[in-house]
Amino acid sequence: MTLFHFFNCAILTFGPHAVYYSATPLSEYDTLGTSVKAALVYLGTALVKLVCLATFLKVSENDSFDPYQELLHALIGFIDVAGLYFALTQLTHRNISQNHKFQAVGLGWAFADSVLHRLAPLWVGSRGLEFTWDYILQGLEANANLVFSISLAALGSLMWLRKNKPKTLIPIIYACAGIVATMPSITSYLRRGLGWHFPKVVGFELFTSLMMAFISLQLFSACQRPSS
Amino acid sequence: MSSKNPRERQMLESIYSMIALVFILVTCVDLCDAATVVDVYRLIQYDISGVPFGSRFATLNHHAGSLHFAPGADLSRTVLVIPVRELNITFVKEYISQRKPLGGLLFLLPQMFNFGNREAATEGKYQIREKELMKTVLAELERLLIHANIPYPVYFAFEDDDIDAVLADVKRSDVSGQPATATTGGYKLVVSAPEPKKIVSPSITNIQGWLPGLKADGDPNQLPTIAIVASYDTFGTAPLHVLFSLLYSNPKTRGRYNLLFGLTSGGPYNYNGTHKWLRSFDQRQRESIDYAICLNSIGSWDNELWIHVSKPPENAFIKQIFEGFSTVAEELGFEVGLKHKKINISNPRVAWEHEQFSKLRVTAATLSELSAAPELLESTGGLSDSRHFINETAIVRSIKLVAESIARHIYGRQGKNIQIFADNTSLAVNSPYIRSWLDLLSKTPRVAPFLSKNDPFVTALKKELEDHTREVNVHHEVLDGMFTLYDSTKAKLNIYQVASVTFDLLLLLVLGSYLIILFTFLVITTRGLDDLISLFRRPPSRKVKTA
Repeated sequence: MTLFHFFNCAILTFGPHAVYYSATPLSEYDTLGTSVKAALVYLGTALVKLVCLATFLKVSENDSFDPYQELLHALIGFIDVAGLYFALTQLTHRNISQNHKFQAVGLGWAFADSVLHRLAPLWVGSRGLEFTWDYILQGLEANANLVFSISLAALGSLMWLRKNKPKTLIPIIYACAGIVATMPSITSYLRRGLGWHFPKVVGFELFTSLMMAFISLQLFSACQRPSS
Repeated sequence: MSSKNPRERQMLESIYSMIALVFILVTCVDLCDAATVVDVYRLIQYDISGVPFGSRFATLNHHAGSLHFAPGADLSRTVLVIPVRELNITFVKEYISQRKPLGGLLFLLPQMFNFGNREAATEGKYQIREKELMKTVLAELERLLIHANIPYPVYFAFEDDDIDAVLADVKRSDVSGQPATATTGGYKLVVSAPEPKKIVSPSITNIQGWLPGLKADGDPNQLPTIAIVASYDTFGTAPLHVLFSLLYSNPKTRGRYNLLFGLTSGGPYNYNGTHKWLRSFDQRQRESIDYAICLNSIGSWDNELWIHVSKPPENAFIKQIFEGFSTVAEELGFEVGLKHKKINISNPRVAWEHEQFSKLRVTAATLSELSAAPELLESTGGLSDSRHFINETAIVRSIKLVAESIARHIYGRQGKNIQIFADNTSLAVNSPYIRSWLDLLSKTPRVAPFLSKNDPFVTALKKELEDHTREVNVHHEVLDGMFTLYDSTKAKLNIYQVASVTFDLLLLLVLGSYLIILFTFLVITTRGLDDLISLFRRPPSRKVKTA
């Protein structure tokens, strides 16, 4: 019975990635290689972040919100951005359009993130007899993360891969990218500083992710108009 | 390319270390996922000459239910959680005697019976009358359970906040008749205990202490001996002791008698331990025992004690003993009665400890507050015997009685009005000493077969005897006879809050539809509606083309 629960939570956490890949033209153009490469880059980035965190951050005994530590956390979070930059620009991809490139990279990134952060707790925890809502909420969080990653990849590709952007939109692009990049810090502030419970935080994440996706879609199509 | 190789190697190494880190993180994830873990104690399981009694199973894996279940409900996969305070003894009797199928029973005892938890136990929350009521209910319950053959596990636990909350939840959902959902109760009780096995050759330990008397010019063994015996074990838990105070009050002034203190085991099992202990003496020693006093249940009497003998009261020895005791008793302000019970040789049941002595022709008597011999396994100390029901002053008086009478006999001062162990002297009975030993005794469960040879309790007794007597011997025997006992008495109960099957199925349905909607949404937005329709129409269109 509880293996059933594990199965449910697993398809909630990892299903959307597979669905996204098969539903969009990504599957037609066979961009799996790009996604895999992006996933590997994510793993590398995670390792670098881990090392930096271990070196610079001190372990706090209580679960409160320490601004200095969080600032450091956010700075280290920008390593994520650097990793994404690397994945988008430096890796050699097969000739795929920009449109699909950022999607593939975002997808691979989000999938690696889900696997690394959510698979182990899911496997160990949700097979027990005791029932908690945690794993379902975690799955929803993974969904939000997927949307965030794709938006960030879109904005990233706008920033670094597109040369002719309308001047007025550039600051908006950078601002949105900044918000999405610092999302982890914002959620941890909400959880620890304001004391929000997990369901509330997940709801907030889902909402913001949809907002961000919408905004980045608009920006992307706005930037696409001159070239088309 | 060559410049990349060391970089690649570095990356591989870092990947390995990261994988190792991930594994470490995984192991740190908390693997205990029960809502509550509680210590539970199993009802004892035993055989008498092959006839099984007690609770025959140990593992438990069923849903929790309360007494408010719908009548006619199938309870064969439910564990009934019954707090003893709300116990309806006829209900339990009915269930057990009619052998109705049940998943298990869990009785919740009030904290005041918790011998390990002194703070809760000494709470004055309960009135004396409630305590007495509880005691009778518990005694009846215990008697019922011990003499029945129960084909499912029966466990006892102490009430605490977690279990109370769980029980309240279960009651609520039972009363409303709702099936358990994910968030509103639906508890599974799991005890994973090994299958109970017979305890092969359970050991019982007899401890004896020897205070030699002042020998004139010969072997101290020629001096007559007085033996004071009590059994320290129980078939449940019980406090009985006085011996140590006697030890304490017998200083170096030795009389012309040897004193032998025996702590025997196997009391409930027809005084098997006493039997073996006596057999271990040789004939001469046994003959030198002038008389033996056995002590049984002297903890909670008010103003009457009984001396039970098996030799007829007209016997000179008996008269002497009885007179000695009653004189002292009179001085101390209470009565001592004499009861005579003949030994029935054909009956294997041994009613009093002194009967074992009498069978070997040693004069013996038992001092007890009970006026009639208890039935088999009755009054051998069960759950209801606890520290609260022991009257300290009663014990002090008993001690004084025994000590004074024996001392007068030893020093030949019978009938004279002299108090050898007077109060407020250095030989007085030491109350705090008694109190501390009573506390220890009420805290340790002392069922004999479950006490190993080197149990700390046994060693504590031995050490205490060593401190106050000359020679201490410890005999380990094997409990034989009609009793066979099974192990697996203490276990941990895990209480899980579980979601029902329908919840999981519902969740699957919801997730399935979510993924399908996501899929169609993405196909429509990225490839267009035509593509979605073409997904379902591709095979026919191909056939048309080839044709």
